[in-house]
Amino acid sequence: MKLSVSHPPHIKQGVTVKTIMWSKIAILMAVSLMAVFVFGLSALAMILVSTISAVITEAGIQKLTKQELTIKDGDAVSIGMLIALLLPHTVPIWVPAIGAFFGVALVKHAFGGLGSTLFNPAIAAWVFMNMSWGALTKISSVSHIGSASYNILFLGKYSDVIFESGAGTLAEVSSFILVIGGVYLIYKKYIDWRIPSSFIVTTVVMALLLGEDLSYVITGMLFLGVFILATETATSPITKNGRFIYGLLCGVLTVMYGFISCNYVVAVLYAVFFANAVAPFIEKNTSPKPVDEVAL
Amino acid sequence: MILCVSDEMTKEEMKNNSKTPKEAEEYRQQVVIPLLQHRGAICEPLVDVEDNVLIGQKIGECDNDYAAQVHSSISGHIIAIEERPHPSCVKKPSIIIESNGTNESINFKTCTNPSKEYIFDTLQDSGIVELDGYPVFNTLISKKIIDTVMVNLTYPSDANSNCTSDNIPKIIEGMKLLMKASDAEGVIIINKTDGQLASSIRSSLNGDNIKIINTKRNYIPLMNNLLAHDMTGIRISNRDTPGYAGVMISSAYGALAVSKAVLEGIPPIEVNVTVSGAVKNPMINTVSIGTSFKDVIQSSGGYLGEPGKIIMNGILSGTAQATDEVPVIKSTTEITVQSIDEVVRDKPGPCIHCARCVDVCPVNILPGRIASFSDIGRYDECSKLHVNSCVECGLCDYVCPSSRHILQLIRFARTALIRLFNIPEEKESPNLKLGCESCETPCDTGTSSVTEGGKK
Repeated sequence: MKLSVSHPPHIKQGVTVKTIMWSKIAILMAVSLMAVFVFGLSALAMILVSTISAVITEAGIQKLTKQELTIKDGDAVSIGMLIALLLPHTVPIWVPAIGAFFGVALVKHAFGGLGSTLFNPAIAAWVFMNMSWGALTKISSVSHIGSASYNILFLGKYSDVIFESGAGTLAEVSSFILVIGGVYLIYKKYIDWRIPSSFIVTTVVMALLLGEDLSYVITGMLFLGVFILATETATSPITKNGRFIYGLLCGVLTVMYGFISCNYVVAVLYAVFFANAVAPFIEKNTSPKPVDEVAL
Repeated sequence: MILCVSDEMTKEEMKNNSKTPKEAEEYRQQVVIPLLQHRGAICEPLVDVEDNVLIGQKIGECDNDYAAQVHSSISGHIIAIEERPHPSCVKKPSIIIESNGTNESINFKTCTNPSKEYIFDTLQDSGIVELDGYPVFNTLISKKIIDTVMVNLTYPSDANSNCTSDNIPKIIEGMKLLMKASDAEGVIIINKTDGQLASSIRSSLNGDNIKIINTKRNYIPLMNNLLAHDMTGIRISNRDTPGYAGVMISSAYGALAVSKAVLEGIPPIEVNVTVSGAVKNPMINTVSIGTSFKDVIQSSGGYLGEPGKIIMNGILSGTAQATDEVPVIKSTTEITVQSIDEVVRDKPGPCIHCARCVDVCPVNILPGRIASFSDIGRYDECSKLHVNSCVECGLCDYVCPSSRHILQLIRFARTALIRLFNIPEEKESPNLKLGCESCETPCDTGTSSVTEGGKK
């Protein structure tokens, strides 16, 4: 009889990195389907090209540097999908392809791969694309809840919540799916609840204080930022208080940028991008006090 | 936290299935009684090879501050005194006794209404050890003033094995004896979800002055400081004991053993052990101390399929055994068998900083971060991140999505810190206490008293 000996615990909960990543991808897929429905096959082509580019980049880097292939964990897939979803449907197809390469190669793997990234690869790639080809990635339409000319489920003019016809980017087509998906992720504890709640509360309260029209503030992009982008694990603080502060900072930066530039879609992305930059400092200054620490 | 009960059998069924001590006689042929069953020094054997011993006879004793005597659990003759496998260490000197088939015992002194002195005397002699390894007697005589005796029924392994309907009145009796010995109030801690246990305790209380407190969390014996903190609000350093907050924490097993020792005169020679997992007939057994795990599992119907791992005291924080020849000791409450397919064989991946470990940590530290620093050998950073506050409950490791060996790395960092930076482990030695001034008179080096850390 051979017995295994190991340190405790002798059981695992069963939630793995794969579970978390692929549940996020499931939500992104639902949004993608909606986008293809609204924008047609050009959106499908963008999403496919971006995802394939991201996966091939990751596989190539890991083959070249003789690492273990980790494309199955879903991180590259989610980066690729997100990059396509952050763009308007009018961009040429090579833009998301290069963007996905940039995100995976230079933002993810150059910094050490999964879990070691300083910036969210999707957002950093979006910033890169926006800087490089500003004219091509310009968002032509501003989504605005409350102007729908059609009627779904008796929601009247608020039908935009489920189905945004004036979406500027692919991700904005449905706030509804993102909210449902985000709440599901929080319920399953795949993402943390502190960042989304403090992010959204700060944004709404600050926008109201500044007298902004909430229908321009609460867009699909805000929900994508709140539930998927800001909660990206490697780029957000791990301390409990730090996560509240991080969410608060994201909200403040969103409203600051949006108030000045009158573009709350781009505001969310830049807010999370700059919050990523200071996340390590937030984390360092919010170290928890252990239960057994006795005051001297 | 998970209840370590197999899915096939509910708790109630297991209680009905439990064997009476008489049925348990059949399978005890030879017992191995380790001379170390507590935190402290190894006992000296009081008997020699070929001596005959009776049930309850004292066979090992030590002179240390932290002492827990060991007693024979069967009548028979001693065939060897040698090193044998121990369930929580590698090998320890043990006394091996072979049964002679009779059940002769020493005369157990019964007592109905013991005085305070009598309780102290019997407890000193009976060597009862709590589940965290501290002898009960030492906790009682420590200089700290105890104003509350808590019986912790939230440790699943212990509560499942010992809180049967027959034992509950005895547990309360034992608790009252501890309260009498320390002039303290009594509190019973029960998990909020365990309503059945709470109601059966309530019906046995009969208007005694004992409070019942419900908690949200399960407390394993290593979390005693945390339990005392949660109940009293007093922060206790990890180098101190619950006594700092005026609390004495006992398990169901401890209270039961106290009542048996004081009222019936029987020292701890039997323990209730839940056998669960991949065995044919999961149940609660009453077994003599020193019976091998193999025999206990055999009495539960034997292995179901090929065993992969045998775990003592809970699947979440228990110790995996290298062999099933190890004996049951005083602090054994549960034996879990995992089949070969159930054994976790994950490969650790990189930390994704998801902070799930931070969210479940009961003592509010950053387990994943400490593990990462430990992995690269930065023990100084581990120390800064309060690695010594860890209670080793194993929850961080359990929830980690990357299968990182967090608990192992934390333990590694702690041993490395002790070795590298010589941070002494807490020892309750009376001459290390500050302010005793006993060294003032004999000391002729000019210094008047002991400074912090025990240096002159």
